[in-house]
Amino acid sequence: MAKQKNYGMVIDTRVCVGCSACVYACKSENSVPDGYCRDWVIQETNGTFPKLRMENRSERCQHCANAPCVTYCPTGASHYAEDGTVQINRSRCTGCKACIAACPYDARYVHPKGFVDKCSLCKHRTEQGLETACVSVCPTKSLNLVDLNEHEGTAQQMMNGKEVYRQKEHAGTNPSLYWISASNKPGA
Amino acid sequence: MTSTTTEIISTKVNPGVIPHLHIWEWHIPLYLFLGGIAGGLLVITSIMIVLKRRFGIGPQDEGDGCPCLAVRIGSILSPALLGIGMIFLFLDLANKFYVWAFYTTIQPTSPMSAGSWILLAFFPLAILQAMLVNKKFLRGLNIPIVSKLIDWTEDHLTIVALLNAHIGVGIGIYTGILLSFFSARPLWASSILGMLFLVSGISSAAALMLLFAPDREKPVYSMIDANAIWIELVVVGLFVLGGITGPANSSGAMMHLIAGDTQMAGMSYMLWFWGIFVALGLVIPLLLEFLEAAGVHIRFPQVAPVLVLIGGLVLRFLIVFAGQTYHTFM
Repeated sequence: MAKQKNYGMVIDTRVCVGCSACVYACKSENSVPDGYCRDWVIQETNGTFPKLRMENRSERCQHCANAPCVTYCPTGASHYAEDGTVQINRSRCTGCKACIAACPYDARYVHPKGFVDKCSLCKHRTEQGLETACVSVCPTKSLNLVDLNEHEGTAQQMMNGKEVYRQKEHAGTNPSLYWISASNKPGA
Repeated sequence: MTSTTTEIISTKVNPGVIPHLHIWEWHIPLYLFLGGIAGGLLVITSIMIVLKRRFGIGPQDEGDGCPCLAVRIGSILSPALLGIGMIFLFLDLANKFYVWAFYTTIQPTSPMSAGSWILLAFFPLAILQAMLVNKKFLRGLNIPIVSKLIDWTEDHLTIVALLNAHIGVGIGIYTGILLSFFSARPLWASSILGMLFLVSGISSAAALMLLFAPDREKPVYSMIDANAIWIELVVVGLFVLGGITGPANSSGAMMHLIAGDTQMAGMSYMLWFWGIFVALGLVIPLLLEFLEAAGVHIRFPQVAPVLVLIGGLVLRFLIVFAGQTYHTFM
């Protein structure tokens, strides 16, 4: 039997140009309603002029291993899938919005149809061996779908020797998204 | 030294999430208020029943095993108000057709799952108590099944009341726990919120009983109310201190509430908190009730309980709104 998957992403902010292709690919793949988004692009500038540093990054649900939304969901609609992602069972979602309040990443929203929605890490695609919509269109290979269970796998190779961070780790969520910081020296 | 700056440009647009959380409007604070009063009423009426039956303390019974008027009305209002509160909870659901999903599972880590079951468990005993304390009236209606139920259970009113006193505390605390488990929302993430909502619920319930109790029963509820307000002032103080002495997330969120200029219904949080909730809702009614107990004639004795009720309502709105308008856990 094949080893169980544990999907995550490694996002290389050094090469992200902030083109938003990931956002539109997701909108079209997942029929995200107008005025909503499952993923989004952040441009963060830090420092003191003239020494400024800028980082572009694509953000989405972090598919936490210890997800507050799953902990708080009163009906089991939000749950861990066997591939390590966090999914929402729409036919059990009451729209109570507890998961939205619980998420430290504000990754969720109420779909106009009533249920709560967010990035599914394109489970319907990964099940067929495809990459997520956002990864498949990323023109600079900033977005990478990885299997975190793969020992010494792609994820490790990509991150080795580089400054890598996860967001709000101190929230105790154990997120599955890793960012290769833009502050790495070129060629690192 | 020039400070470093951070500028963030984001393409995130989700309504209800951006620019700040806006998922719960008036339904939830109203439910928390009614739930708090329902829990408070159950606590007070149950304890009054036990005190009277076991120790002979309290206003005179109506006779035939029926307690005084305020206890009888309070016992009916408790499940009635919780029922109304649950309607607001239901109205808040975005996916109403799936409300049944609450009752096909028990999610041990979810306070809301526990709460949805506690809300159901509340009704049988609360309604039984309301029936038993009004048995004289109910027997007069001659409904066989009701009379039979009263016959079976009337000797056990003290036990029912003892259990209900605990369930009432549970409901009162639960309304605060519901919010305080959200560590992503710094203002709510305070374990004393459950205690605050419990004492606020008890004082609001005492105020409500004070409004409809006949004159000879009023002093008891005035005393309960004054004591509950005292305790509430202490708990509010601890809630505020715990916030402002906490780490950046907590202190920022607390300052957002107690010194914030974000508006609610055209007035800043700061004015709502200190002016309406603390001064009008706690301090002034406490003074009025002290004066009254000391024998000073108060021309409009209804003012104090009405202010307490307004304060309780404002507290729920403030906490729910300010908790959402402050930024997410950083």
